[in-house]
Amino acid sequence: MQDKKESKLKQEMEHTGESLQLIVFKLGEEDYGIHISQIKEVVLTPNITKMPQTPPYVKGVANIRGNIIGIMDLEEKFGIRPGITTDEVNQRSNYTLVIESDTFKMGALVTEVPNTLTIDASAIEEEVDLVHDKNVDTGYIKGIVKLEGQLVILIDIFRVLTEDEAEKIELAQNETS
Amino acid sequence: MSKENEYREIFLAEAVESHEELNRLITELEKKPDDNKPVDAIFRITHTLKGNASGMGFKTIADFAHVVEDIFSAIREKKLALDEQIFSSLFKSIDVLGDLIHSVKTGAKVQYRGIKTKLEVILKSLKEGEQSAPEDNEEANSNTDPSTKDHSITTVSNQNRIAPSDHAANTVQKESMSEPEPEENAKIIFSDHVQVPVRKLDNLLNLVGELVIERDRIIGLNAENMGGNEYSRLNRISSDLQYSVMDVRLVQVSFLFNKFHRIVRDTANQENKSVSLTLKGTETEIDRNILQIISDSLIHLIRNAIGHGIESIVDRKNAGKPAEGHLTLKAISESDAVIIDVSDDGRGVDAQKIREKAIQKGILTEAEAKNFSDDDIVLMIFEPGFSTADNISEISGRGVGMDVVKKALDSIGGTISINTHKGVGTTFSLRIPASMAVKGTLLFELKNITYAIPLSYTEAVLSIHKKDIYKVSNGLVTSHLGKTIPLVFLKDIFELSYANLVNESKILHKTYDRTSAEKALNIVIVSYNSRVMGIAVDKLLQQKEIVEKPLSKPFDNSKMINGVTILGNGHVCPVLNVATLFNLIFIRNYTNKKN
Repeated sequence: MQDKKESKLKQEMEHTGESLQLIVFKLGEEDYGIHISQIKEVVLTPNITKMPQTPPYVKGVANIRGNIIGIMDLEEKFGIRPGITTDEVNQRSNYTLVIESDTFKMGALVTEVPNTLTIDASAIEEEVDLVHDKNVDTGYIKGIVKLEGQLVILIDIFRVLTEDEAEKIELAQNETS
Repeated sequence: MSKENEYREIFLAEAVESHEELNRLITELEKKPDDNKPVDAIFRITHTLKGNASGMGFKTIADFAHVVEDIFSAIREKKLALDEQIFSSLFKSIDVLGDLIHSVKTGAKVQYRGIKTKLEVILKSLKEGEQSAPEDNEEANSNTDPSTKDHSITTVSNQNRIAPSDHAANTVQKESMSEPEPEENAKIIFSDHVQVPVRKLDNLLNLVGELVIERDRIIGLNAENMGGNEYSRLNRISSDLQYSVMDVRLVQVSFLFNKFHRIVRDTANQENKSVSLTLKGTETEIDRNILQIISDSLIHLIRNAIGHGIESIVDRKNAGKPAEGHLTLKAISESDAVIIDVSDDGRGVDAQKIREKAIQKGILTEAEAKNFSDDDIVLMIFEPGFSTADNISEISGRGVGMDVVKKALDSIGGTISINTHKGVGTTFSLRIPASMAVKGTLLFELKNITYAIPLSYTEAVLSIHKKDIYKVSNGLVTSHLGKTIPLVFLKDIFELSYANLVNESKILHKTYDRTSAEKALNIVIVSYNSRVMGIAVDKLLQQKEIVEKPLSKPFDNSKMINGVTILGNGHVCPVLNVATLFNLIFIRNYTNKKN
């Protein structure tokens, strides 16, 4: 299923031909990009309610237009900075990217208003040799977009989320055994 | 609407449908008079209609349908040849049948005796024809038919002449009024019922749920500025709307119960047992989705009762019981819940057997098993992987099942209890919410977050001090109504790292150790499957009716939280899953004891 999604994303990129649109946002010091089709909207982060017994990077749930959406902290998830508590998140005024697919609905915290960026498909370097940390799966990184004076890390947000799922399933199995 | 009116509506909807079907079939038949299929179908439909109508007490419809049925029975047996005149009579009779059905609603008088008598005459002449000229049926029919037809249709007086015996003078009078109204029969009648896919109802319910949440939010925002009455109309209308939508989703349990006759029969056959089934309270109403969720559980309980509960015929005879086992399914409505009892008159649950099994499986030590009362022991059958069946059959005994039943009930906030007497029988009692949408809850606060706990689980609230709580092994206990019950600080549970649930020792003492002796502690006493425990929270807020929304990914497998609701201030309020909490605490007890 994952491969399918990947190839779908690739196809999308190829089909749109030369140019494609990205939503670009800052995590830590770096620019990250998500394909625009994966983002539903950007909203001011509403009040988040912490849920017990969830991974630390999941900050809780929030009410976005009547939908209950889980909010995650990508900076914490990617290990960019140490985690902050849900209370701290609620005190800052952040933005939330609402990510939506047929099966997923999630919010990701960002500190600054994201930009849209139209790039040339050829600007994506897909084969990137990253310095891998053995313990961290970097499969969600789809490539690097090099622009003048800017480097955008293109991620497949669904891949990040499905990893999360996989982790949960594993966890559930450990619990029952 | 009263029950009776509702049945009437259902009958009408079905009858109108049947009538339309009859119209279609007879048209089809006219085109292909040799085809047997439409005849069979018409026969079947009129038969059903007759049954339904007599069940509802609509004698005229029942009688009329009966005559039509007889006619088609004759046609089916090829005793009555179909010709043009017969057809015109049949069309007429079906029109009249439609009018009769319609008149149930309108109360209009329908003149039906003429056509009925005509049909009866046809039938009668058939019989006579058979008797007088058995060697030439066809001819006898064709001889009688045209005569009856011609006369009856054209003139009233002739009609009277032909059928003088059964229906006397008043028939004629009424007949004379009814016949010259062919126009009205051409009306197309619409059913008063609309079939709606459940999906659309679900959507509607969601929207209404959101509306109620939004209403509460707006009222909450403006509570200070406006008087309390300002929103009462809005409140009332939206509440009425909500209950109306919920009402639409209610179906009678008979919808499900009636399917069990077959299941009982098949299961009993497989097990070589003889079992009869009695249904009670089948008109009890329940949300369609809840009925769907518990249907598998009920099937399981029934199969279980036949497989485990009811003894073989030989055993029953030896025990002095009738050879045929008896199973009862009973539904009772109780405020906003429905209680479904599955009772058998079998051997009962053998507490001793379960005790042995629990020891054998290492769930309890021997000493503990002795201390457990029989009632407590019996509850062990709901633990995963527990089965006492000696031989594993297709039906029961694979060790899956009872825990699945429990899970299904947990998911909708229902509970199950057992009442069993050895040698007399067992009753499984399921208490399930009648509707999914609105839940009464108690709101409480913990670390500045508002949580809700369904009132169906809460027993009482207490305020106690540290001195009332005692450490026992790794847990805490307090006393409530003279009984010693386990107590947890919810904070400790929520602070458990999400990977490691229970095994850290002393973890449940953490908050207790930090609590000062003077502080009053707020305790909610909750019960679940006849177990009771106390939950310590920071602050008790209020009772509130909420609309619970299920959690989406990645929280949908979150264990402690069942769903969420949105509070007046727009914040999300998690709804505590009491079932998991109990499992956590009590399984923790078992595992601790094992070690």
